[in-house]
Amino acid sequence: MDAALEVGMKPQSSEPRRVAELFERFGAEHDLPPKIVMRMELALDEVLTNVVSYAFGEDAADAQITVGMYISGSLVRISIEDNGPPFNPLTEAADPDVELPAEEREIGGLGIHLAKTFVRTLRYERVDGRNRLTLEQPLDGQPEEPSE
Amino acid sequence: MKVTTSTSGAAMVAAVEGRVDSANAKDLDQELGAVIDQGGSRLVVDCSDLRYISSAGLRALLVAIKRTNKEGGGVAMCRVPDHIREVLEVSGFTRLTKVYATVEEAAGSFD
Repeated sequence: MDAALEVGMKPQSSEPRRVAELFERFGAEHDLPPKIVMRMELALDEVLTNVVSYAFGEDAADAQITVGMYISGSLVRISIEDNGPPFNPLTEAADPDVELPAEEREIGGLGIHLAKTFVRTLRYERVDGRNRLTLEQPLDGQPEEPSE
Repeated sequence: MKVTTSTSGAAMVAAVEGRVDSANAKDLDQELGAVIDQGGSRLVVDCSDLRYISSAGLRALLVAIKRTNKEGGGVAMCRVPDHIREVLEVSGFTRLTKVYATVEEAAGSFD
């Protein structure tokens, strides 16, 4: 089962939803397990929201973001590339302490924490002046049950 | 996203339907804030038709939890689909609010 879909997106706040829902449809069309699709969709949404919110600053007019979705054999891969300045959302925010009571909780970093929990591999690279984030999830076997 | 408000005993119930993400989390924040303004410091969030929630939606929920806690009430969740529950667990939200099977149980938890 091999498939690919590549889409361009703009650094606008409405775009992560559009692309996340495209991935949901891509997964359904290729009969991927709904649980894996839901988890990867959320991870994709969180990472894209981060990129759209923080990666471009004032240079948004020249921004080019490309999202590729691929199934090859038993691996699902999503690749996000942009031409913004170096920006690694995986290290941008500290991991949140999810054990704190409500009064002490801060919400920063929660999106990336969810993304890291819900996909097997999250990788950042700076390649030829572009940021590249890769999300990978094997299809054989369910992803590990996340723990709190 | 759609939020429908009703009452159950002494609690206000906000049924949240659809998708909550960074594009509309501000709306959820406002809707829940309005319910709390109407005296809903005992707030039940009914998730039976909540299809999707990202960290932006959780942020709106955290605001409601903090505010109702401060006012001597709290937030109780109910009818949470498995895939939403997983998101709540990973985020540590099941430590901040309890999850019940029915609206009545959630509303009764404040008594």
